[in-house]
Amino acid sequence: MAGFTKKLSDNLFDKFSMDFLRNQVLKNAYGNDDTVIARLDPRILIVWYLFFGLVPWFANDLIFLLFSFMIVVVTTFLARVAGLVLFLFLLGVFSQTGYLFVATLILGGDSTAIAPLLVLTLKVATVSLASITVFSGLDPDRLSNGLMWFKCPERLSFSISYAYRMLPMLMEEFQNVLLSYRMRGNPPDSATFFGKLKYLVYQIKVIIHAFYPLMLNTAKRSRTTVEALEIKGYRYAAVNKEVKKLKLASLKVTYDDMIFLTISFLTVCVSLFVSSMV
Amino acid sequence: METVKKQTATQSQKLMVFVLTMALYGLATLFTELIPSFQVGIVEFSVEYFLFIPLTLSMLFDPMSAALGAATGELVFSEIMLGQFGGLGELEKFITLTIGIYIAGRLVANPAKRRMVGIAAMSGVVIQQFLGTVVDILKVQFAVTDFEAVAGLPESVFATEGFAFLNDVLFSGILFCLLPTLFLVPKLYGKIEPLLGMQPRTKATYLGAINVKVVIGCLVAFAAAVCCEMLAESGMSLIDWEAGWAGSGAALSAGMIVAAAAALIVLLVMRRSAAVRTRGEEQA
Amino acid sequence: MNVIEIENLTFSYPGASVPTLNQLSLTVEAGDFLAIVGNNGCGKSTLCKAMNGLIPNFITGTYTGSVRAGGLDTCSSDVGTLATKVGYVYQDFENQIVRPTVLDDASYACMNYAMADYLERGRAALKRCGLSGRENDYIWQLSGGQTHLLALAGAVSLEPDVLILDEPIAQLDPGHADRIYEILKELNEKHGKTIIVIEHHTEYIADYCKHVLLLKDGKALWKLPVREALCRVQDLTASDIFPPQVTRAAYELKKARVLPLTAALPTTVDEGRRTFAGLTYHINKESREQTEALCKAPAAVEFKDVTLSYRSVKGEPHKIFDGLNLSIRKGEKIALIGSNGAGKSTLMKLMIGLLKPSAGEIELYGSALRGIKRDQLSRKISLVYQNPEEMFIKDSIEADIAYAMKVRGIEQWQERTGRLLEQFRLTGLKDRDGRLLSGGQMRRASLAIGIALNPEILLLDEPTANLDIATRREIIRTLEEMKDITDTVMIATHDMQLVCEWAQRIIVLCGGQVVGDGSRDEIFGNEKLRKLTGIRPPEIFAMGQELCPQAYCYTIQEFVQTFGGDSDGRIHKEAVG
Repeated sequence: MAGFTKKLSDNLFDKFSMDFLRNQVLKNAYGNDDTVIARLDPRILIVWYLFFGLVPWFANDLIFLLFSFMIVVVTTFLARVAGLVLFLFLLGVFSQTGYLFVATLILGGDSTAIAPLLVLTLKVATVSLASITVFSGLDPDRLSNGLMWFKCPERLSFSISYAYRMLPMLMEEFQNVLLSYRMRGNPPDSATFFGKLKYLVYQIKVIIHAFYPLMLNTAKRSRTTVEALEIKGYRYAAVNKEVKKLKLASLKVTYDDMIFLTISFLTVCVSLFVSSMV
Repeated sequence: METVKKQTATQSQKLMVFVLTMALYGLATLFTELIPSFQVGIVEFSVEYFLFIPLTLSMLFDPMSAALGAATGELVFSEIMLGQFGGLGELEKFITLTIGIYIAGRLVANPAKRRMVGIAAMSGVVIQQFLGTVVDILKVQFAVTDFEAVAGLPESVFATEGFAFLNDVLFSGILFCLLPTLFLVPKLYGKIEPLLGMQPRTKATYLGAINVKVVIGCLVAFAAAVCCEMLAESGMSLIDWEAGWAGSGAALSAGMIVAAAAALIVLLVMRRSAAVRTRGEEQA
Repeated sequence: MNVIEIENLTFSYPGASVPTLNQLSLTVEAGDFLAIVGNNGCGKSTLCKAMNGLIPNFITGTYTGSVRAGGLDTCSSDVGTLATKVGYVYQDFENQIVRPTVLDDASYACMNYAMADYLERGRAALKRCGLSGRENDYIWQLSGGQTHLLALAGAVSLEPDVLILDEPIAQLDPGHADRIYEILKELNEKHGKTIIVIEHHTEYIADYCKHVLLLKDGKALWKLPVREALCRVQDLTASDIFPPQVTRAAYELKKARVLPLTAALPTTVDEGRRTFAGLTYHINKESREQTEALCKAPAAVEFKDVTLSYRSVKGEPHKIFDGLNLSIRKGEKIALIGSNGAGKSTLMKLMIGLLKPSAGEIELYGSALRGIKRDQLSRKISLVYQNPEEMFIKDSIEADIAYAMKVRGIEQWQERTGRLLEQFRLTGLKDRDGRLLSGGQMRRASLAIGIALNPEILLLDEPTANLDIATRREIIRTLEEMKDITDTVMIATHDMQLVCEWAQRIIVLCGGQVVGDGSRDEIFGNEKLRKLTGIRPPEIFAMGQELCPQAYCYTIQEFVQTFGGDSDGRIHKEAVG
């Protein structure tokens, strides 16, 4: 029995290792660039998001919310989002409203509190899934171009594509520093409950300490990066209108984009129709 | 001539600090986003955030660049890359985080003095958390229209938000901001600056104590964050979802369905013919 | 016409007491292929940054003198304009790449300078740098060599007249290194670019460069045509630069009067063939190796049908090893070689338990690795990373060396730390942060960290990468000294001189398979294997083989002994005749 639990916990540890996290994050950022959603024009998707990311917050019609929820579920499915992100989504929705729900019950609320909370849950879920579709399904670089079209600050769109480039490198470095700790450190025995707690504290401590080398190593890197940016004319481009036009020339609205918008619009109309008939 | 050169140098240094903070804090939030929080009763023990990273950097380098870098890093790495972007709420987080870190960075004149570093770190957390709590409470009030009507909800919101504030300040604040910052700042001081080609912070390079201008600036920024939420709320009530559609809604929405369906069919046909054309061109 | 003209340049970084460049004057002609050599910290990188205007426009400091690049005064032009004249590839080139995909990065600079045909320019640059077909790949899908080519393409895209590369081949296997230099040669000859490289590998300088500039203490000592420069053996060695092995061998033979004093020193194998033509081969009895005794030693680590695959971002997992069988015996000194990406680092990570095989078993002294506790494991086996910076987790190297012993409560850890510091000549540096040390000191510190727990098996990943030749020799010497302390040692490396001087057994990996396993004679004497894996013996070995197929000389000393005759001058006369 003890052997079995040890095996199980080892297995779980393997599954939820740094390597796994890294892989999931990378998968989410780079792994789905060939989906229907990823091929859409980022500007269209941003407009689409402005609707499904905002309107549900302020609508209280249950049928409309249900239909919107359906749409975003379908788009999330189409975007082939990494499993971990979906798991986080579920966890997030549950903890956001589930926790309010429990608190309301404890502090003397009754079943009348459930209806608004159900609406609230649908709202939260729809809005989050819409954002998952757009921000997870779209390749970050295209997203940053789309944002630039909407006159977002240049710093932000640069940061997005730079983060996109840096992420694998940073993660590998972080992983290597943590491995150094694993190889040389001496974690407390995690057999008992108290030991497990100690082990957790140890782990967190290691992660915090790992940022000391990471900060210095990244500082070294960012110096080269900023010098290279200077050579490559980044600062020059940031104030040049011509460059922006060049960058955005690659964006093109196609029939697919229009069809995507129309289908979404159609579904919303149907929901309004149904809701007015009821 | 000389001044121009100095200007570009500081600008590049600011960009370096920005890139550094963004990358590091972004990476950290990526993981804190992934580490599940555990709850004991209604008390949530989560590794809320690794605020010590931008706090440390803001005390050593230009506070504004570090603050903006951290806020951008969180937005980009954990919200956008993981698809956890929460719309308007992020703007508020962005602004409160920037204010908190900026003030903490401005408070420290001499990073070698541990006491000042500690006070600054805690102030940063408290400011950020407090502003966040205020906005949070407002947000729930907006989201649930009959907020006051639900029995027990207002009290529970105030109680849980207040509790979360204390919890975050005492738990995350001390464990993940105060202690690591106290540990890191003196260690990095004088060591990390040469790597970026800069001089360590001294009396001469220090921006000066917090003055009225800073306070007013922060207040304006915070007001902007709150206004965004208000504006969105009032803007939506103009459309007035339920009432607007209730009367002639059926006819109107039916008409819209027909129009949308027609547009869809036209688009599909057009796409098809376009595809046939390109294929034809390829063959020719 | 001169593309670079520097007059009396003096530059010091803020806060530095000694100027990094001191009254330096230099001219570089258009179409030149110039190598800059000099010991660590002589100002090579600083000089290059002065040529492309980063100094003084971006990096401030005390600056006097004048630099003209492509006819422009760097002081009065901005970095952007200069970038179209002078391209620069950093030593840490991966930080120079700021965009997520290949074409994007290659065309980024052109786009920023608002060139309408930026994509075309990017494509053209990629084609010139041999990266056609990879346009839409992500950066992390490229190998180290390809990433370097991409950094080069990014600089080439702006069509500068001058290209500066800071140690382009430091981390590459010979195959990739050749490719980089072939591309540089083409850029130089076909497209008329002036190429300036900072380079330690004098073999490459001899093969490709036209001129050599020797820097010392921020001054230009001389700039000479490459042949003449490489024959200045004394000047170069005084600056810790080692001329090609062929040159040094001829120099030694001249000193021993085996070659006439008037003979010109050869710099390449081709030239060597003529110079050494008159020498005869003497069998050196001692050169045959004695490895039989070790074959009976018990196995320390054993791979049994090990399969490992990486989770890939898209599609199927990528298989690194498929049914690998390998046995490492106690007391062996093994070199693990193979091209970039052959699986060397992965093999080491498997041995230390950082990666777990998806099938098969790894055994450590006969018991399964997965059953051993990490604490026990770290006392038995230790790994030193390729990048020493990732080994430093504390704020001083003393604390770093002590860390593993301290947390385990090993008795007298203070004394032991002191001894290790002493042994690796680090006592004077013990309070410094590891990252702020020089390359060689960093390596020594990382070795000291690696053996702190007194492991029976020590794994070293590329211990000599990124080091100049002098520091490399110092590390090789340290490794020699360590031979008595550590029992079983395995080194993954591209450095064939290290392999030849140090290893008793060589394992060749290729595509996740062991394709060669044996003594150096068996590996380097096997032409088929050399062709298959692209491994290349040291130049002196090739020289020996060229003169006589039976000759197996791995060091200059062996070469001199083998071909130097019995030093009674007989060969000398023949050679003259």
